[in-house]
Amino acid sequence: MSAEGRFRFVGVRVGRKDGVLKATGRATYAYDVWLPGMLHGRILKSPYAHAEVRVDATEAERMGAVVLTPRDVPDVLFNPRLVSVEEDTFKDWRVLTDHPRYVGEPVAAVAAASEEAAQRALEAVRLEPVRVYRPLLDPFEATRPGSPAIHERVMRGGAWVDVEDNVACTLEYSEGDVDRALSEADVVIERRFHTNRRYHLQPEPKVAVSRPDPDGGVTVWTTTQTVHNTKILISQVFGIPQSKVRVKKVFLGGGFGSSIHTNLVTLVAVALSRKARRPVRMALTREEDMMHDHVSFEMHMRIRAGAKRNGRLSGAEFENVMDIGAHQIQPYPLLGTALGWFVSLYKWGAIRYFGRAVYTNKVPSCALRGYGNPQVTWAVETVVDELAEELEMDPVEFRLKNYVGKGDLFWGQGPTVKSIIRSDGVPELMRRGAELIGWRNRPRPGEQTGRYRRGIGVARGFHTSGAGGPLSGSVIDYSGAFLKVNEDGSVDYVTALQDHGGGTLDAHAKIIAEELCIPLEKVNVVWSDSSTTVYDVCTHASRGVYVGGEAARRAAREVKRKILEYAVRILNVAVGPEALRMRYDEELKDAVIYVEGSDAQTTLSEVARTAWQRNWGSISASVSFRATAAPPSFTAYFVEVEVDTETGRVRPVRVVAGADIGTVINPELAEGQVQGGFVMGWGWAVLEDTPYNPETGALENMGFITDYKVPTAGDIPPIEDFRVIFADTYEPTGPFGAKGIGEAASNPVAAAVANAIYDAIGIRFYELPITPERILRALRERERQGRESAQERGGGLS
Amino acid sequence: MEPRVIRFRLNGEWVRLSVMPNELLINVLREKLHLTGTKYWCGIGECGGCTVLLDGEPVLSCLTLAVDVDGRKVTTIEGLATGEDDLTPLQRAFIEEGAIQCGFCTPGFILTAQALLRENPNPTEEEIREYVRGNLCRCTGYVSIIRAVKRAASEAVKSRRPGPAAGAASG
Repeated sequence: MSAEGRFRFVGVRVGRKDGVLKATGRATYAYDVWLPGMLHGRILKSPYAHAEVRVDATEAERMGAVVLTPRDVPDVLFNPRLVSVEEDTFKDWRVLTDHPRYVGEPVAAVAAASEEAAQRALEAVRLEPVRVYRPLLDPFEATRPGSPAIHERVMRGGAWVDVEDNVACTLEYSEGDVDRALSEADVVIERRFHTNRRYHLQPEPKVAVSRPDPDGGVTVWTTTQTVHNTKILISQVFGIPQSKVRVKKVFLGGGFGSSIHTNLVTLVAVALSRKARRPVRMALTREEDMMHDHVSFEMHMRIRAGAKRNGRLSGAEFENVMDIGAHQIQPYPLLGTALGWFVSLYKWGAIRYFGRAVYTNKVPSCALRGYGNPQVTWAVETVVDELAEELEMDPVEFRLKNYVGKGDLFWGQGPTVKSIIRSDGVPELMRRGAELIGWRNRPRPGEQTGRYRRGIGVARGFHTSGAGGPLSGSVIDYSGAFLKVNEDGSVDYVTALQDHGGGTLDAHAKIIAEELCIPLEKVNVVWSDSSTTVYDVCTHASRGVYVGGEAARRAAREVKRKILEYAVRILNVAVGPEALRMRYDEELKDAVIYVEGSDAQTTLSEVARTAWQRNWGSISASVSFRATAAPPSFTAYFVEVEVDTETGRVRPVRVVAGADIGTVINPELAEGQVQGGFVMGWGWAVLEDTPYNPETGALENMGFITDYKVPTAGDIPPIEDFRVIFADTYEPTGPFGAKGIGEAASNPVAAAVANAIYDAIGIRFYELPITPERILRALRERERQGRESAQERGGGLS
Repeated sequence: MEPRVIRFRLNGEWVRLSVMPNELLINVLREKLHLTGTKYWCGIGECGGCTVLLDGEPVLSCLTLAVDVDGRKVTTIEGLATGEDDLTPLQRAFIEEGAIQCGFCTPGFILTAQALLRENPNPTEEEIREYVRGNLCRCTGYVSIIRAVKRAASEAVKSRRPGPAAGAASG
């Protein structure tokens, strides 16, 4: 909702706190960390999609390089992501392996005085194949009997489990009688969908600098979305006590989910630095980052859904086969959340779900802004659009009639994380959006002729704010905050939470300023490390503002209680702290503490100074907070596109992007999340994919950005035709009414674009991305069919 | 290969150092001179992240040999301002318009936009989009960046000062 007038600092437009550092080039990212005397590492990556290899590093060692082979790293099986509880964590990774399972899997590593010397040493390492297996690049082929086993067995928690037919994990679920519901439905449609395998293309390639410390520990600077989980994993793999692993918080050049897990470079850098007894920098090039490090989950989905003539959904089947690549990062929890995304979009009635994660010899998949949600939403919002058409209902009204909203049970993060929806701006966003885009006057599908054809599409979506719930499920989700008042009344806020750029920590600063009635510039956000911060699980799941912000608010509230206790002593009036009030004073630029109806007042600066001078002690608070809900932030996007039927190119003409994020804490940054989310989603819809060579199992993009096209400034609609609207809602469980935004912003884009393309040319696409080639092929196919049926008709007449 | 001594004016001050003939400007700036505001994204001239100004013209420092800047003027993001007090109108507009998220593309964008405003002090939206389309951003969706460039341009025009390319910036 509009925070204007209700709050003093929440909702104000003000330049971000780290803006000056970033605009002047002074912000230090992990890629910029340069230590005296450090060595440079390079990783030898498997050229084989699946092989057992022998490594001979004699020559590299003779050249003076520090060398690691699979024998030189701890024999520990792990999962680089620690967000799920131990018993639901599958482990099949090693730091280096002599049994690589995808092209690019690290086999050996070297370090030398310069990157060039390291590269020369790397080229001297011999890698001999002992056995080469046929690469499996398709999940349906991988599960066929007789296909080579990618893993024989893996660990779940502390126990071994056998892998059958390359199936990594499965999840099945049902509610109600689906067969009956679908047989009694008036309209049933069944569709199969295949998504692209997208690359994050986060601006900063993965990098780690590791420095061995005299106490036997290490200090690490790396690209991570969680300094604490990185600390824990390093501790587990190398057997170093957590108190001796210091993971520094540095600026992160974009994450988008690619560093929820600890990137392998981090572990390789730690291993090299411990062997070298010197700091080691291990930086990936863009090609390496793209070809060998992280992609989104490629999903093959089937939806069969039915509805009654009255416009109510009655039942749905959802099948989800995920091509996870060669290792598990988080497919098991995703099997649950994919179902969560599905059931939390609409009241399907009876449901049946079959989810299966399959190993293939491809780059391992991880979360990418939405964690499967954009994929599922694309499929669901296509099916829903088609059902509305079959029922001859307005797609907006059909959605409003069936969506999961206020008062409904919600389990977006999967069956183990359930809560009730308390704020819901969907009707407002759908109605306003429809009006602004001119929904009623949109073209009818397929009616246009001529080279350029325009269409308007709609899709809605949501994402959870974190992964909290009343019960502790299989997801770890809590956040910490430490706040102290300095002796002049300014405050230092110490948090482990990473801000990838969305403005999360600006939101926290505003929340603290609001609670303590002090100007924003008096709140200092401290850049720290895993040793000096309270645990935070990770910046993911759009939880930074909702969970982390609430931790900050609670710490501020605790600090406020202590400030008032001290103020009572100063004011020397016969009341307790509960009778005191605090307000912001614009002239003093300070919090004024006063007694209503009396002249007695003091300021926060005075309290802080007095507490110091009279030896009362510091005012500080440390909080660890777990959210008991994960409320949905809703988005509803209307998009107008223009399809060039001669080139197949699609361009966005107008966009109305609506978001319900509760109280808007950072207006310009929240708008930026929506705009950025739309444009990223646009790339996923029409541009981005990572195809593999079927013979070699290597990525065909060759890792260059021009081979992996992403939107540029030339690909967006004119900025006055790119409208962002926020719903007027207040989330009662969020800090000052706020919810998350990062992922909701991109979840419905591909569906809205696909529905708009359908409106323009009358063709639906079930495979992403909807490239010019696919559009042209489909148009030609339709022309051919049209000609053939005309001929048949003609033949019949003669 | 023999090292060569080069001398160039970096952010207004002459520097002299020895480089290899195949050494890239980006590496000299980042690794030898520790000016890490010039960002490495792709290393092969595809993203604009490492843009610097060479005699006022935007160039990709990952495709520029260090020996080629001998005797010339190089401006990196560090040369525009040292902090809050001496920000250029463009830097200020980027901060105020929310055109900065993760910040990794920001130095390249600001320097590219600065070259644009020097060539064309009052560009249209179309001209801005065309000029900066070689710079990638994965966070903002470009809307706020285009707005920031427009704002800096209109403020410069309004104040009748020379464009934001003036002063130390053109060093």
